[in-house]
Amino acid sequence: MLSRVAESLFWMSRYFERAENTARFLDVNFNLLLDLNKITHIENPSYWVALILVTSDKERFNSLYDEYSARTVTDYLVFNKSNPNSITSCVGLARENARSIIESISSEMWEQVNNLYHYLQSVTPQFVHNDPYGFYKEIKNASHLFQGITDNTFSHNEGWDFIQIAKYLERTDNIARLIDVKYHMLLSEAQSQPELVAGSEDIIQWMAVLKSCSALEAFRKVYLSKIDPDNILRFLILDRTFPRSINFSVCAAEDALWRISGSSRHRYVNNADRLIGKLEAELSYTAIEDIFATGLHNYLADLEQRLVKVGEQVHLTYFAYHTPEIESSDIEEALPFTGIAGGRANWSQAQQHQQQQ
Amino acid sequence: MIRFFERYEAETSQFFDEVISKEGSPRSHYDKMLHRFSQFSVDDIKARREIVNIFFRNQGITFTVYGEEEGVERLFPFDLIPRVVPANEWQTIERGLTQRITALNAFLHDIYHGQKILKDKVIPAELILGSQHFRREFVGINPPLGIYIHVTGSDIIRDGEGNYLVLEDNLRTPSGVSYMLQNRQAMKRAFPVLFDKYKIRPIENYPQELLRTLQEIGPVSRREPNVVVLTPGIYNSAYFEHSFLARQMGVELTEGKDLVVNNNKVYTRTTRGLEQVDVVYRRVDDAYLDPLVFRPDSKLGVAGIVNAYRKGNVTLANAIGCGVADDKVIYSFVPEIIKYYLGEDPILQNVPTWLASNPADLKYILANLDSLVVKAANESGGYGMLIGPESTVEQQENFAEMIVANPRNYIAQPTISLSRHPSFFNDTELFGCHIDLRPYVLYGKTVTIVPGGLTRVALKRGSLVVNSSQGGGSKDTWVVDE
Repeated sequence: MLSRVAESLFWMSRYFERAENTARFLDVNFNLLLDLNKITHIENPSYWVALILVTSDKERFNSLYDEYSARTVTDYLVFNKSNPNSITSCVGLARENARSIIESISSEMWEQVNNLYHYLQSVTPQFVHNDPYGFYKEIKNASHLFQGITDNTFSHNEGWDFIQIAKYLERTDNIARLIDVKYHMLLSEAQSQPELVAGSEDIIQWMAVLKSCSALEAFRKVYLSKIDPDNILRFLILDRTFPRSINFSVCAAEDALWRISGSSRHRYVNNADRLIGKLEAELSYTAIEDIFATGLHNYLADLEQRLVKVGEQVHLTYFAYHTPEIESSDIEEALPFTGIAGGRANWSQAQQHQQQQ
Repeated sequence: MIRFFERYEAETSQFFDEVISKEGSPRSHYDKMLHRFSQFSVDDIKARREIVNIFFRNQGITFTVYGEEEGVERLFPFDLIPRVVPANEWQTIERGLTQRITALNAFLHDIYHGQKILKDKVIPAELILGSQHFRREFVGINPPLGIYIHVTGSDIIRDGEGNYLVLEDNLRTPSGVSYMLQNRQAMKRAFPVLFDKYKIRPIENYPQELLRTLQEIGPVSRREPNVVVLTPGIYNSAYFEHSFLARQMGVELTEGKDLVVNNNKVYTRTTRGLEQVDVVYRRVDDAYLDPLVFRPDSKLGVAGIVNAYRKGNVTLANAIGCGVADDKVIYSFVPEIIKYYLGEDPILQNVPTWLASNPADLKYILANLDSLVVKAANESGGYGMLIGPESTVEQQENFAEMIVANPRNYIAQPTISLSRHPSFFNDTELFGCHIDLRPYVLYGKTVTIVPGGLTRVALKRGSLVVNSSQGGGSKDTWVVDE
């Protein structure tokens, strides 16, 4: 398959997953604040700044807004076009990638990306303000529908595997960030307001983390006893069967990479396979105590770094073969999540407008 | 003939009407259609319009208009009334185009080899050698089978008497064939009963014929040729068509950056390494094809592809340098070209043409700007054009200056009253709209023309410009056996 087509499939999938994850963060944060209205109010900046921390975007945000509030953070993460990770930008880029390979994907996939794009064009901040639950649900469902359509209308060959790799790398990264930020927040609160940690508010916050991964019910089935942070982390990081856990996602990405190259457990073909295999093996033999021994934050930061490396190797192995050098100014703003520019540069747009007879 | 056609007023005194004869009666090949439409109410038509719109929208059949902010995507306007071409008329068109394309190809071969036609002074040498599309560096190059123009789309119009005339030859990158195919699909959905009443010749095999042609022109003594489509990219107005044709032929759609040249061979960059390419159906202009040879700032091209082509390792369709034969000045010599190479009289006539480079013609052109159509020799898509009767004095003066400054670049033609065909403006009334016809000609081992083409229709009342970039639409075209 053409490297360009593979790359566009990869980024189409990755941006779609990113849009869904952003919708999840926002949705859960709203719910959380409503649950906690006894001790805080919906505009409490410390709950909103967390969402900006998740996306490592503090600087850009601060250059655009004066305060962290429901309004500004929602605007930034949902609508802002200068934020390459806003839901609107992600869906736009997913669509742009899909459009450039429209002959390679199924028409149903295109219709779904296109529909979501047009839906977002019609949504106003007021609409999201009035019905945040309905709006985020729409985004999540659109993403699930897209994945279902892809599974059922697109051949499960190399191209499909690139879609899977992108989806699970993105998802792993998002879960890691979410845990990192929440844990950090809760810990600092525990130090400043010890009375909260013992109370039901703490449980509620941890439940919110689970909910943002649609993991609460699945978690309940595994850990019948009390909801405590250790079990939650064990579930979200190490569970091998829940599709929004880190271990599951890494396994799924590994499977897809190995299917493409023909690598197997004892023999890797390229560096992408080696790095993902190493990561998967380590996760399989890691206990939650090991993670605490390293320190959760350090552990997650290291994990994120390693995901970036996998992404780079996928790029070098499959997409960048014989790629001419492109001036750095030509590349769209680098994405904070991976450091690799996705989407398509617009530099040749004017020349493409040549007249056809 | 109640309702729609009953209220239709054909202006047969001024124009050739495709449906109604000068005597005011319907032409026989339209009988069944008129009968069928007499059974429709406005609501029936609206319902069918909806079917067609949904079809086009779902297929993503849009085109991009340049000059507006960010290139707006629009649905291509489609008229529900099909055009019917009887078999005997089609035979004339088919024979005429085959003759014309064969002669033009012989002309190109001659121009890039012995240049006999110039030595015999049938065409003034300076017109060829001074043409911006003449590629001196390809003199002596032998494309496989000696074919230069593998895919063409000639524009044909009808004069007041109904004679078919060739207006333009479009030998470089003619577009619109995907609309021809999609229009047919849409009509089948919306008018199955009417469809069944005619013996309509099928056109659905066009992509297969195109692929066969492209495979036939592959470099000799190679395995099954690997064919790719080369597009300028997703921002090109015809991008939909490029991807549509690639999908229909089952070949890769590539952009310049997907191709790489190594050791004078062209390869696609794939996830499994490099794969050699034999034939490139390129929809990129010569000027952007290879930054090493043509425009060095081209980011759409493939560095080195021209050398690979010269070495015979890859075939480009169409060949480089075809533009020299579809220049509007050279157009006026096509009747002589046909006689020179084939010894035959042209079956399809040209539209009378005055050349601004000819002093007597220039005088006539400048004196009659208000009644002539003036065209820049190398523009296409309806750009760079003055329609005398519709222009202001200021526009005419503007053009007069440009013509005098660069006479080689301008020609003029009488405002041919393109034939008219009843068309829906909204879905309640029929008006006579000007139309043309673009059949698509494939040239590999043989010349193949799928029976039909794109009928473009000027959906602005009274307008003569049928180009999609200028607000034109299209309708399905049926070649029918009686």
